[in-house]
Amino acid sequence: MLISLNELKQLVDIKIPDDELFKLIGSRLVEIEHVEDLAPKYKKIYIVKVKSAEPIEGTHLHLCQIDAGKELNSTIDPEHDGYIQVVCGAPNVKKGMLTAWVAPGAIVPATFGTAEPFEISARPLRGFMSYGMLAAADELALSDDHGGIVSISPDHVILTEDNRLRAVRPGDTLARAFDLNDKIIEVENKSLTHRPDCFGLIGFAREVAGILGEKFEFSDKNSITIPRITNPVPLSVQISDYKICPRYEAHVIDLGGTGLDEPVTDFLKLDDIFFAKAGMRSISPLVDVTNKIMLMTGQPLHAFDYDKFVAVGGTDTPEIRVRLARKGEKLVLLDDKEIELNEHDIIICSSDTPVALAGAMGGKSTAIDNSTRRVIFEIASFSLYNLRKTQMSHGIFSEAITRFTKGRPATDLDSARHMLFDELEHFAGSEPIASVIDTDPALIQDNQFIRNVVKITTDEINALLGTSYPEELIIKTLENTGFETKSKNNVLEITAPLWRTDIHIKEDIIEEVGRLLGFDNIPFSFPLRPFVCPTVDPMFDFKSKLRIVLSDRLGMNELLTYSFVSKSLQEKVNENPADSYQIVNSISPALECFRQSLVPSLLDKIRENEKAGFKDFSLYELNQVSKKSWGLNEENVPEMQTHLGLTTFGDYYATKQVLRELEKSLSLNFELKPLNTSELLEPLHAVAIYLNDTKVGELGEIKRSVLKRFKLDNQTIAAIELNLDACLGAKTKKKFGIKLSKFPFVSRDLTFRVPETASYADFETKINTILSKISGIIYKLEVVSIYHKENESTKNLSFHLDVASEEKTLESSEVSDIIETIVKELKTLGAEVV
Amino acid sequence: MYINMSKIEELKAELKTLGREYAKIKTLPESERKAFGEQLNAKKNALLAAIKAEEEAAESADVTPIDLTAPFAENAAKHEFKTGTKHPLTQELERVAKIYRLMGFNVIEARQLDDEFHMFDSLNFPKEHPARDGYDTFRTEEGFIPPAHTSTMQYRALTRFKNDLEKYGQIAVVVPGRVFRNEDVDATHEHTFYQCEGVFVSKDATLGQMLATWKNFFETYYGQKLNIKTQPGFFPFTEPSLEFQIEKPKALGGKGDGWLEMGGCGMIHPNVLRTAGIDPETYKGFAWGGGIDRLVMLKYGINDVRYFESGKLNFLKEF
Repeated sequence: MLISLNELKQLVDIKIPDDELFKLIGSRLVEIEHVEDLAPKYKKIYIVKVKSAEPIEGTHLHLCQIDAGKELNSTIDPEHDGYIQVVCGAPNVKKGMLTAWVAPGAIVPATFGTAEPFEISARPLRGFMSYGMLAAADELALSDDHGGIVSISPDHVILTEDNRLRAVRPGDTLARAFDLNDKIIEVENKSLTHRPDCFGLIGFAREVAGILGEKFEFSDKNSITIPRITNPVPLSVQISDYKICPRYEAHVIDLGGTGLDEPVTDFLKLDDIFFAKAGMRSISPLVDVTNKIMLMTGQPLHAFDYDKFVAVGGTDTPEIRVRLARKGEKLVLLDDKEIELNEHDIIICSSDTPVALAGAMGGKSTAIDNSTRRVIFEIASFSLYNLRKTQMSHGIFSEAITRFTKGRPATDLDSARHMLFDELEHFAGSEPIASVIDTDPALIQDNQFIRNVVKITTDEINALLGTSYPEELIIKTLENTGFETKSKNNVLEITAPLWRTDIHIKEDIIEEVGRLLGFDNIPFSFPLRPFVCPTVDPMFDFKSKLRIVLSDRLGMNELLTYSFVSKSLQEKVNENPADSYQIVNSISPALECFRQSLVPSLLDKIRENEKAGFKDFSLYELNQVSKKSWGLNEENVPEMQTHLGLTTFGDYYATKQVLRELEKSLSLNFELKPLNTSELLEPLHAVAIYLNDTKVGELGEIKRSVLKRFKLDNQTIAAIELNLDACLGAKTKKKFGIKLSKFPFVSRDLTFRVPETASYADFETKINTILSKISGIIYKLEVVSIYHKENESTKNLSFHLDVASEEKTLESSEVSDIIETIVKELKTLGAEVV
Repeated sequence: MYINMSKIEELKAELKTLGREYAKIKTLPESERKAFGEQLNAKKNALLAAIKAEEEAAESADVTPIDLTAPFAENAAKHEFKTGTKHPLTQELERVAKIYRLMGFNVIEARQLDDEFHMFDSLNFPKEHPARDGYDTFRTEEGFIPPAHTSTMQYRALTRFKNDLEKYGQIAVVVPGRVFRNEDVDATHEHTFYQCEGVFVSKDATLGQMLATWKNFFETYYGQKLNIKTQPGFFPFTEPSLEFQIEKPKALGGKGDGWLEMGGCGMIHPNVLRTAGIDPETYKGFAWGGGIDRLVMLKYGINDVRYFESGKLNFLKEF
């Protein structure tokens, strides 16, 4: 929304510098996106009189002598009899007219501030010197009109610097004559979502007065006044459901023969400027009336042709009906588009025939045009919920519906009505001929609109803000913006103005006080805290610990990838996309499915990094995953797990070693069991990870068929997918029980020949069992090598054993006894000592 | 290579001569002996030090000079360390959480699939209110929502820590988490990003405390005193609602002029407390939330938010 500072200053007495005002507005009312200073944009543009305009033969151009006032005439162009010569291509240039002249050195306003500002110069054209340019309205950025140069009325009144009014003269600046020494405030609409009253200049000005600590004075009459009607025409209004439309007013005006075909002058009007500053355009006198009221009050109006309206209804007793559309109903809108109406669309009907899409756009059948003599002006309030759906389903984003969807209150139509009748006085001979209103009776009590009342104490206000504002200041602050207050026994009874239907609870009043007096003026203070150690989500710390192991110790790289993946990625790893929560409004097919595991996302990143020149890297991610088949949790939201996903260049054993490192750091005792089937991993080179008999993950080599789909099939890549929630919840932790002895260790190397198909773990377990049964010793068993010579049916397992006694120095014979026991026992497993 | 052996020998000879001087002590009167002895000791120590220095120099004499400015030795391969990296976002989340933890806040993490109740209803968004559109939420077929802000966790923070109100007189929780918005992606917009939410409830919480708390966080985070300013905002779940800005810190090249928008804050709406089973007549609260990605981008001068989830090692290895 664009707000003119000059318009604002008409409504509020502003004594502080502009920059300070913008700062205050920013900190106490609304976010300002940008302030545009118009003064430099309209610099060196003057009002001139065309003294002569002679056609240049063989062209569409005119050679003009213009009067820009004595001073400019003599300084700009000394050669042409005291006037300035300009070549002009506009068809409407003619002797005697007043127009706008862009002097040499000025920037054409329409290009001001753009990437290519166009600076006007003095240059020869068709052999004639041309000083500057006579400008069309579009070049001045005042309308889209490029039909000809602007024409200015000789009766146009200007306020001189010494505050006198006089008719405009050549040499006056365009800026002074048309109020262009102004600043335009661009407001971020989102920050006013809850304040429909601020979407009009009056409401905005009221708030500005409030933040300046001034009382806003504006004749906002709250009584429901309708002008006297002498010759009423038939019309009634009926709302089907007050929920969709709590109030509908229709005021019919006879334009009295001086309607739309009244000779409209081509002169540039102040209204053109008014609309241009608001980012709109002057369209026709009637439409301008409705738009002006909307810009001033925030209340959109609609105009119907009364006679067409009656004809569409086809009855002597025309009736406006406001109802929801029925399935299958259609309506041709003003822009000639036929739309199929939805059951949530509010429509305006003539009797039962739809004639307008309420709040959004009028219908073709009742549109006003040059022949319109009698006009119905609609002033109404509609349900923002319905209009929001209408806006979305029909894609209509007009100035009007933008305001309606903020919730224009039914109780705040009076200023729009007053303004309407004021504006219509400018239409000579016009006369009101009907006014009909239907209102939700629940809004009215004792002939008055019911207003929201909040009871609150000064203490309550100060307690929540952390301030100590005195009662008088609070009262004055609220009254400045239209609240009424009564103070009784320390309780303030605050009545909200009719336009503040958003005020319901104490906190709403507290916000008003805090905001209007400046949140930035609130003193800082700290909450007191008990000396209790705060807790942290165990998973948050667990992940932090894992990062230390994986990144800091094992040299891996942590990634973050999207939580949404494509069906094709899931199919590449043989995951079932149907088990993923599907995003119905996803940005692209690449982001359709909530992921079920992390490894696929990592696999997806390997090739790209390899291409970038990285070799032999390990990637991991710690993040949340979900599957539909896991069902919902006790909160009725999808069951989720936090996983570790990890990929590394290398074989099964590479990932196994990683898991052993994790085991140590996390004090967990993982068990590895055969993996009978796997969609992702090669079952012969992969295992399932178990914790206390529960499967918590898998590790091993990625299937060759899967790698092929990622163009990685010339590599061996292994992966881990581990459910960290299960790890975190594990009850039995790994016990270390590290013992050291002060007596020396004796070392022995042992090699066993075993069948090639034998399991390594069987032998290691056996040796450990034997050693752990011998009392009084401390030992350390390490595997040194597993050697399998090609084509042999056996393999060699070599161990290194360090053993010591806790009580004495071991005798060589005692160690030999131990070794003998081991050799004997292992023989039963088919192991021959080598 | 040159070893000054003769120099060492010379010094050693001198030391020997000096040793003989000690015999003279006996010949001196009692009163002069002390001074003479000290003089000899000093000379002896100086000689010993000179000999030691010469000997060390002789040991190092065969060390050849190298080019200290070169990255690695001549004719040698570059040292290849396998350096692991942590993601800059997770590191910043850990740091942010740590500061809040020191301030006394419990830390819980946000979940990545949630529902309409947590995203909107529990936060006082009227049903079908246009304010719900402002969040550009994704939705699953079942109507679940990958949360568009960490405020989705407010209800959980309030209910999970309700016992703290009785025990300690307050609830103090922060919630870091991943959030999602249906937005077109470009250098400054991501559909996936991180936020951190804060919630505090006590009998006498004030807006002044809200502002002081968040200000203190940023002062700790940036290691300097900072000015703040606010703008009125609108969030259905806070009343009053504010937008919070900090002065651009020195670490980011601030010279006391620019401002950085850090997020929204306000006093928790009574309906939000009520929904969580906390009596708003007795208890007041404040809440705030802001983005993490931008903090990281500002800190490291990252100009494209898309790098974060790109999985590119040439980005990640910079951290």
